[in-house]
Amino acid sequence: MTTTTEPPMIIGDATTAGSRARSRWRRARWPLSVVGILMLAVVFLAVSRPPSSGVPYAPDNADEDGARAVARVLGSRGVDVTYVRSVEDAVRAAGPGDTLLITPNPSVFAPEQVDALSGTEADLVLLAPEYDLLSAATDAGVDSYPSWEDGVYEPACDAEVAEATGPLALQTGLETSAEGVVLCWVSADGVGAYARVEQNRRSVTVIHDGTLLRNDTVLEEGNAALALWSLGENERLVWMVPDPFDLSTGQEDPEPATQLSVVLPPGSGPAAGLLLLVAAFLALWRGRRLGPLVTEDLPVLVRSAETTRGRGRLYRASRARGHAAAGLRAAAADRMAKRLGLARSSDAATVVDAVVAATNRPTEQVAYLLYGPPPADDAALTELARHLDTLESEVHRP
Amino acid sequence: MVVTWRAAALMAVGMVPVVVVPSLGTVLLWFLVVLAACGADVALAASPRRVAVQRRVPASVRLRSPARSELVVTNVSGRRLRAVVRDAWPPSAGAQPAPAGAGRGATGPAPGGVGRYRVDLPDGESARLTTTLVPTRRGDRVAGGVTIRTSGPLGLAGRQVTLPVPGRLRVLPEFASRKHLPSRLARLREMDGRAAVQIRGEGTEFDSLREYVVGDDVRSIDWRATARRRDVVVRTWRPERDRRVLIVLDTGRTSAARVGGTGEGAGGIGAPRLDASIEAALLLSALAGRAGDRVELLAFDRAVRSRVAGAAGPRLMPAMAEALATVDPVLLETDWPGIVGQVRARMSQRALVVLLTALDPAVVEAGLLPVVDQLARDHQVVVASVADEEVAALRVGRDTVAEVYDAAAAARGDLERTAVTTMLRRYGAEVVEALPDDLAPRLADTYLALKAAGRL
Repeated sequence: MTTTTEPPMIIGDATTAGSRARSRWRRARWPLSVVGILMLAVVFLAVSRPPSSGVPYAPDNADEDGARAVARVLGSRGVDVTYVRSVEDAVRAAGPGDTLLITPNPSVFAPEQVDALSGTEADLVLLAPEYDLLSAATDAGVDSYPSWEDGVYEPACDAEVAEATGPLALQTGLETSAEGVVLCWVSADGVGAYARVEQNRRSVTVIHDGTLLRNDTVLEEGNAALALWSLGENERLVWMVPDPFDLSTGQEDPEPATQLSVVLPPGSGPAAGLLLLVAAFLALWRGRRLGPLVTEDLPVLVRSAETTRGRGRLYRASRARGHAAAGLRAAAADRMAKRLGLARSSDAATVVDAVVAATNRPTEQVAYLLYGPPPADDAALTELARHLDTLESEVHRP
Repeated sequence: MVVTWRAAALMAVGMVPVVVVPSLGTVLLWFLVVLAACGADVALAASPRRVAVQRRVPASVRLRSPARSELVVTNVSGRRLRAVVRDAWPPSAGAQPAPAGAGRGATGPAPGGVGRYRVDLPDGESARLTTTLVPTRRGDRVAGGVTIRTSGPLGLAGRQVTLPVPGRLRVLPEFASRKHLPSRLARLREMDGRAAVQIRGEGTEFDSLREYVVGDDVRSIDWRATARRRDVVVRTWRPERDRRVLIVLDTGRTSAARVGGTGEGAGGIGAPRLDASIEAALLLSALAGRAGDRVELLAFDRAVRSRVAGAAGPRLMPAMAEALATVDPVLLETDWPGIVGQVRARMSQRALVVLLTALDPAVVEAGLLPVVDQLARDHQVVVASVADEEVAALRVGRDTVAEVYDAAAAARGDLERTAVTTMLRRYGAEVVEALPDDLAPRLADTYLALKAAGRL
């Protein structure tokens, strides 16, 4: 019999802590160096670029659509600029004697938000306001229309700001029918670019075109002067750039359930952090496999009958009924001839005669079945196959 | 370095201090506590690299028969070893779920898969872990590594290593066709001692003389011997012996196609044609070896894949099984002139040459037909081929138009195969075509018929 040699005894995998550390370092150094270079690049970019937001009309945005220039000038002239994004913050920050600037809103304010904003006691400066806010802030004294007219207009009104500013190249679209509304820079159609309403304890300034604050257009014509005049009236300026996802209203929330911090008990944050760590441990536990998978060469999985099936499909795809019928007929004739003891070289007439003798069927019928014309359609082919089966079942050894 | 579910549970226990003092500092502190506990556990765990592992595997086993893979794990770490040990085998080695409580020191099979064992060993002791393998595929099955995952006294964390412990199990052909062997051997014995006239043939050899019994053919009475004795004596004959049989196994691309497996509970993917050919080769060689013929084997596609020559008696069948165990189909066209050259080089006198191949008309026309006359001139050639029951089922399909077209394709294939068979017979070769399970007995019957007719 076979001589069995004692299999070897394996202790350890011939590595030490040092060699494992070295091999791990060798494996990891390239990915690590790539990650390190990426992080260095990110740090360098973060340090080399001054902080600047990408929000249009933001006072810290130095891009073309930002408004940092105006904010800086206001700041250097002693105006305290407070930058807010939400209605809640704006309402809280803007008290009596302040100025509240609301830049164009990319979405729409909810009715509660409109009420909150128009209800502040600060002076309002509205840039291209939407209709609801405009009518609420001016007590429906000013209407606005969309307009695309460009042109340079003279102030054409007796306000202090008009004299200081001079001609403007802003779009117009404000119209008024109420008393006490000053409309300036009026175009030929009678619509203005600037409207100011003095209310009980505050003023509301509406500027139809917000571009006068933008860094790229602030120096055109009298834009800068109008901006500084309008915004620099008070010591404190609350600069609100509406956030499209902001839903706060600044009022006492009637339904406290919508506030996440109210629903959850105190300590939810730390608990969530703890659960995250538990999940990390669970992932580590389940993620480590007990040894690598054992590989195996896969066998060839091609069925022997696939060539036959493929041939049948080819017949069908090309509607080769003649070929198919000839195959069926020849195979049936071959089997019947074998059963009747005919030689393989027998001709058609001999086979037909022998089959006729064995089955007592008419000669024409047998000849038609075995050597007839190709079937006209698929139904005829199926019919032929069934008839051949019947015929074959009737043929017995003589 | 691994952590267990207990580490996650310990982390979750931190919910209590977090509820008492709800702050992120508490979470961080608890995290550090858990990390320290895990680190201490890892430091106290036995090193998996200080465990001696030995794998004992039988050299060979028949397909679908059980074999035992034994791992002897000895703790030489100097500490108590609490570990999970995995004996990894490829899927077709067929590792079976272990019965509970196998081996000393092992507290039973570990969850997560077969071949995993929980081990708890004091220093210096060993455990024997036995995995039962029921291989489902022929050939060499090479074991994977042995993975040892130790854990510390707290069971929070531990260390893991996969050791390259060698192990190889040679899976021999199943030889399911050996159930046909007794009946064929009985037929062989029947042929022994039969009167000459019944099987008159040029190749039968004189065997012995025996007394006449009623029923013997009077023409086989040896009158000269009868004259020397007082009884009537008849001559007996036996089939020719010491003929040479060469079984050629075509391992080319046509042998890779799978047949069978369409029946209920057959697994669905069948087996390669080659496996049916191997069964037939084994039955034929067992039969021919008992009949006293010298059997040789050649597995060939474009090169010799395996060969058996010069083995006889009890050494024949182990040599055949060993040689056929690792033969796999090669996706190449078979080099038939090369086979003819091999046969000529090895068979100087007349022999029975059995070609186990596939009767694929196009392939036979291009490969075997041009060379079969060279073989048939010098030897008795038998071409044995595995038929496909799926094609047989296609042949009778009439229910839909698609089935009729498939039936037509099958009928056309039959006609071509019949033509090829006729051509081969014209050259003097015997052709045996049968379904996978029938091929081995049919080939054995053909061999017996040739032997009885003295055509070897």
